[in-house]
Amino acid sequence: MPRKTLTRRSMLKKVGLVSAGAAATVMGPWRHNRVYAAASDKPIMIGLTSDASGQYANSGASDRRGMMMAISEFNERGGVLGRKVETIHIDTETTPATGSRVAERLITRHECAFLIGAVSSGVANAISQVAQKYGTVYLNTNSSSPTESGKNCRRVKFVWDGNGTNFAQAAVRNAISAYGTKWMLMTNDYVWGHNTSAATRKLVDQFGGEIVDEILVPQGTRDFSAMLLKVQQAAPQVVAAAVGGDDQKAMRQQVSQLGLGESMAWINNQQDWPDVYGLPLDNLFGVFGTTWYWKLDLPGVAEFVERYQEAYPDTKMRVPGNVFYNGYMATRELLSAVERAGSTNNRKVIQELESLKVSASDRMQHHDAYMNPATHQMQQTIYLATANQGTQNPDDMFRVLSQSAPEEIRDADADAACMMESLDDTPTYEM
Amino acid sequence: MSHVLPHLLNGLSLGLLFALIALGFMLIVGVMELINLAHGSLFALGAYFAMVIISPDLAWLGAAGEAWAVLPLPVRYGLAVFLAPVLVAIVGMGLELCMRRTYGKKAEYGLLLTFGAALVIEETIRLVWGPSEQYLQVPQAISGAFLFAGLIYSKYKLYAALFAVGAIAAVWLFLERTPYGAIIKAGAHDSEMVRALGINLTRLRLLVFGLGAGLAGFAGIVMTPIWGLRPHVGIDAVIPAFLIIVLGGVGSFWGAVIGGILVGLAVGFTGAYASELSLLSMYLLLIAVVTFRARGLLGRKSGLEA
Repeated sequence: MPRKTLTRRSMLKKVGLVSAGAAATVMGPWRHNRVYAAASDKPIMIGLTSDASGQYANSGASDRRGMMMAISEFNERGGVLGRKVETIHIDTETTPATGSRVAERLITRHECAFLIGAVSSGVANAISQVAQKYGTVYLNTNSSSPTESGKNCRRVKFVWDGNGTNFAQAAVRNAISAYGTKWMLMTNDYVWGHNTSAATRKLVDQFGGEIVDEILVPQGTRDFSAMLLKVQQAAPQVVAAAVGGDDQKAMRQQVSQLGLGESMAWINNQQDWPDVYGLPLDNLFGVFGTTWYWKLDLPGVAEFVERYQEAYPDTKMRVPGNVFYNGYMATRELLSAVERAGSTNNRKVIQELESLKVSASDRMQHHDAYMNPATHQMQQTIYLATANQGTQNPDDMFRVLSQSAPEEIRDADADAACMMESLDDTPTYEM
Repeated sequence: MSHVLPHLLNGLSLGLLFALIALGFMLIVGVMELINLAHGSLFALGAYFAMVIISPDLAWLGAAGEAWAVLPLPVRYGLAVFLAPVLVAIVGMGLELCMRRTYGKKAEYGLLLTFGAALVIEETIRLVWGPSEQYLQVPQAISGAFLFAGLIYSKYKLYAALFAVGAIAAVWLFLERTPYGAIIKAGAHDSEMVRALGINLTRLRLLVFGLGAGLAGFAGIVMTPIWGLRPHVGIDAVIPAFLIIVLGGVGSFWGAVIGGILVGLAVGFTGAYASELSLLSMYLLLIAVVTFRARGLLGRKSGLEA
């Protein structure tokens, strides 16, 4: 009987075969390639990707408070699928490169099941590219470039704010008939500004208006005097501004000092609450869009404000704004989708979110809302508002002028531009 | 020409404001050969101190607070313009005391310390006053707008430019027409000789740092009604200040003033005619100048080159 000897070569072969088999079992080639502690009582980890510094630091903090309140409410009820929800936050610094790095770290090192948060569209796009690579479901809570649900849409990304086109749809036609056809654009020189400006330009053309000039505002601009002199020289009837964050605060202050808010009509595509809270009402000139206001006369709004005040008794912002609202709603709907799916499996959660419908009363808005499965953007009520001059309540800064139903302000271009990955091309996981 | 003139005037006023922002930075770099990265945070601190002083809501001061509240806004504002820079100067002197262990060591030690101080001051502001936008009130007499040649200008910006001219003139008079100024300049030129002559260089540095910090605080009070007030507003100040000092020449008073005005003109004109380049223009200007004059417009060899 020949004697079997264990040679170095045969040993290496055996070890190689066993290793390959083990790796194949865990890693693929099948798509279900990340399974961690599924169906266990391990907490569900959520990565919060909101800005804590840079242009949108303040809005990022508000966004985060909204997410945290929703998560606390679920945890108080016993968690999601019987598992506690935990969070980890890393500052995305209002910088796309940092956004990518943070997303990579949250997914690979901290094993986050989901990522939530964005105010800057550049950052949101960067995060979503990384999220798509791993199949991680990502909620873009507050960035509103039309490209986020258009050409930069992703299978794993869901957009919860109204976008520049939605707000422009709500404002442009009325503004042309009310104020005139001679328009000028002031546009933040980055992705959100450019795409919002393109949407406005298209609508102005469509309704018979004329864009006489466009001023590009670099991010970080603090002195608008030269640009405002140019606006005066052009003498438009309407100035449509897509300027956000700290730039917008500085612009508002300087327009107000010149009294230009009264001498021509201003349409500010979208007004985030944290950008104006606490400022004098003089700075809040013109008409602007928002998705929600804390004084909407709708059931549930007052209770929601009370819950905010209980949750954040020390916050200087005494009432919630649209950024908080979007952060809260997005997180609440994600966790509800996980519960309905009965699993953290990303495919099941994506499918739940794609078929999401929320009643007007649940949304505390005037119309029912739904997720557009073709673009992954929440279709919702858009409000136009202006400064609530003469109010005695310093928190009651807005006066809502009108509300538009989702179908009236639909971004049809996004449907055409969005070419998202198929579910089959999206890596799957369960955590 | 009628289209260009408003932008020329606007660029000049903007330039004076940039020069004001750079003034305190220039003083500290010139005398102490130290790049004070906390300049922006001291700028913000000045504005926040002024906001507290101007506010009529000082209930925590008891009867004194009530007496303060009835004072008219111009009086409170006037006092804030003097008191807030003094408070910032005291903070600056505290920072200088911490700096002493870094003297004689590599420049990186000073850089790191002032960078750390900038973070600490900014975070303290955030903790005390919150992260939200704040508002620095100015008296009615210097706010609003005026009409000139068919265009509306900000009255406050005109006054801010005048404040800047006043501050530039005061610093120049102090440096050129007082014995203290002579000592400061001598200290910048040859500190060993100044010490050999029996002058207390330690006290001189404390004074200069306090003065530079006070000027940063004053610039913050003047600028924030235009730029807005938030904890990280200092970032908007420290970068142009640094750039202007390099552009004008490290340690040169007139270099800082001319550099500030050139930056203002560049930003003003590009803001009007190629707005997308308005922030980039100052960096392009810097590249153009240092390509031909490595030490800046009026710069001489300094210890920072070592």
